[in-house]
Amino acid sequence: MSQFLQVTLYGLLQGGILALVAVGFSLVWGVLNVVNLAHGAFVLGGAYVAFELHAWLGLDPFLGMVPAALVLFAIGYLIQRFVVNLVVNAPIFITLLLTFGLQLIAVNGMNLAFTANYRAIPVGYAAQALTLPGGVRLPVGRLVAALLAVGVTLALGYVMRRTRTGLSILATGMDRGAARLMGIKATHVYALTFGIAAALAGAAGAAVGAVGTFSPADAGRFTLFSFVAAVLGGLGTMSGALYGGLLLGLAEAWGGQLLPGTLVNAVAFAVLVLVLALRPRGIAGRAFYAARVEA
Amino acid sequence: MRTRLLVGITTATLVLGIAGCGSKGATPDSSTAPGTLTLGASLSLTGAQAREGILTKEGYEVCKTVVNGKGGVPVGGKKLLLDIGYQDDTSKPDIAAQLVDQFNDKGVKLILGPYGSATTGAAAAVVERNRQVMADSSGADDTIFTKGYTRTFAVLSPATSYAASMVQALFDLANPRPKTIAFVSADDGFSKTVTNGGVARAQQLGFTVVATEYVPNGTTDVSSALTKIKPKHPDVIVSSAHLAEGVALVKQAHELGINPSGGFAETVAPPTPDFVQTLGQAADGVIGSTQWTDLTAGSDKWFGTAKDYDATFAAQFNGRAPEYHGAEATAACLALVLAVEKAGSVDPDKVREALAALDEQSFFGPIRFNPMGQNTTKTMGVIQIQNGKPVSVWPKDSSKAALIWPGNRS
Repeated sequence: MSQFLQVTLYGLLQGGILALVAVGFSLVWGVLNVVNLAHGAFVLGGAYVAFELHAWLGLDPFLGMVPAALVLFAIGYLIQRFVVNLVVNAPIFITLLLTFGLQLIAVNGMNLAFTANYRAIPVGYAAQALTLPGGVRLPVGRLVAALLAVGVTLALGYVMRRTRTGLSILATGMDRGAARLMGIKATHVYALTFGIAAALAGAAGAAVGAVGTFSPADAGRFTLFSFVAAVLGGLGTMSGALYGGLLLGLAEAWGGQLLPGTLVNAVAFAVLVLVLALRPRGIAGRAFYAARVEA
Repeated sequence: MRTRLLVGITTATLVLGIAGCGSKGATPDSSTAPGTLTLGASLSLTGAQAREGILTKEGYEVCKTVVNGKGGVPVGGKKLLLDIGYQDDTSKPDIAAQLVDQFNDKGVKLILGPYGSATTGAAAAVVERNRQVMADSSGADDTIFTKGYTRTFAVLSPATSYAASMVQALFDLANPRPKTIAFVSADDGFSKTVTNGGVARAQQLGFTVVATEYVPNGTTDVSSALTKIKPKHPDVIVSSAHLAEGVALVKQAHELGINPSGGFAETVAPPTPDFVQTLGQAADGVIGSTQWTDLTAGSDKWFGTAKDYDATFAAQFNGRAPEYHGAEATAACLALVLAVEKAGSVDPDKVREALAALDEQSFFGPIRFNPMGQNTTKTMGVIQIQNGKPVSVWPKDSSKAALIWPGNRS
């Protein structure tokens, strides 16, 4: 029984980090209708910012999430404004190609700048664990990362629903033409959205660096996780990515227990296929995203 | 509907993108100028194995510098300068095979191996078909050598001895001797062969193998394997994995409260500098296996002893000490150089004959191939991380320090 609890708990914590990785990806897809294949590279960008800050200033990676997010926000804003915006109305294949190209450039750039070495941000307490009744262990680093993920996602949901900026982002996502008529500057809103997504990816990268290892080659893996979590949860909703990430974490943890460990990835994709077949909108997807007006 | 279509298209693109795309390096000018011996090398300069691919390239470069510094390879009365053409296979076997084929089209018949067993296996098939000759520096999986190939020669010890040597070291040195061992293995061909070799040796020596768990190759989450092992309380966890899985194993075992009394033994991860850098103090006491250390016995006329090689490498790379990836690459290049010299020709068939008959001592240990092309004369070394540094502890005649036992002091 305690083994089952341990697996469930660990899966949820793992899922929390995946959710933070995925939430920005889902936001960009929902609002800009761009599948950002460079998202994984943003995650790594954040991890390297936090790594360097830790190496130079001894800054704790969880505090390093803030500067990592700021740096990535600036990068994301500029990339959208001056690169992705050129093709934002183009067919999906063009945006896929562009973001895939950006990912190649970013990954090889990181290979040159930081080498292909595996890195981790060594913080002693992150590997410590609290022991719960029944010998179930609760690793501190993953707990902090997962709680931050949930907190950030809820905060983002609040910003989207309650502030002018958030509402203008949602409005632009639903109907860009109408939003423009209301005086919303679509180019700015798009760049802002992309920047926020990159900032969230950067924060997730700092968390990943604190609890695990990373190297430039991991970019594709993070993009794939984000894609699966976003689709599982439902596009464009902040809570969707959270549910998707948690479900993915749980599916991998339980799958790893019940089946040979090497099938873990297959289990995650089986869950994806199942959800798409039974509930194509995703767990928390909303009907109006499917019925939105395309400009 | 649109969303569903989008999801479908994107899934396909992602899968294709991750499986098939990548960049290739610039084409080198491989025209064999007079007085030059051109070797071809397809390497993982980008992609998942970029780290190890670059270490391998460094080893090849040391070989080139040293051989050319001594005037080149003597062949039939004149000396040929070494030139190595590199191509980037982006860590993908099919691309490695294509690149070896392209070398053949350009007339490059002598090939230095790619990094890793999967790429080497793919390249070996093409080498055989094209009647090229390959000196394999890192493809240790025994399955490459069970296909009847006659033109691929591996200077390194075969995969079956990676974990087996650590098990043997525990049997010889650990006091009190552990009783139970759990194996955690990545699920690629090489790692599985390593694990099978380790399990067989453990059972032969009287250890009880309480579990053998597999994890996806390259994963950073091995928690499911660890939670399955936890209730079996093994004395030692032996893992056959690469750096990512190896680091995750130690980190996550700590998180999950799994403290085997004897600690951890991991094949290839501990000797790489990244292992200590990423794990910090948690790396101390972990045992690893290595193809080479600077205490390896033997010497040759090009590189001298292992200590001399250490100094040569450090001089070329800003004082950085070599690890076994670099040494095995240099040794593969050395085997080709020795064979060309012995054959007195660059003709691939003659070089192949010379390689098959090679019986030399070198800084890398003995180089002698069995009929399958494997170097079974060489033994593996076992290291332990002590005070943040890998130190050789086995075999006893080339060890630097005693095994600290039990390895787990937490």
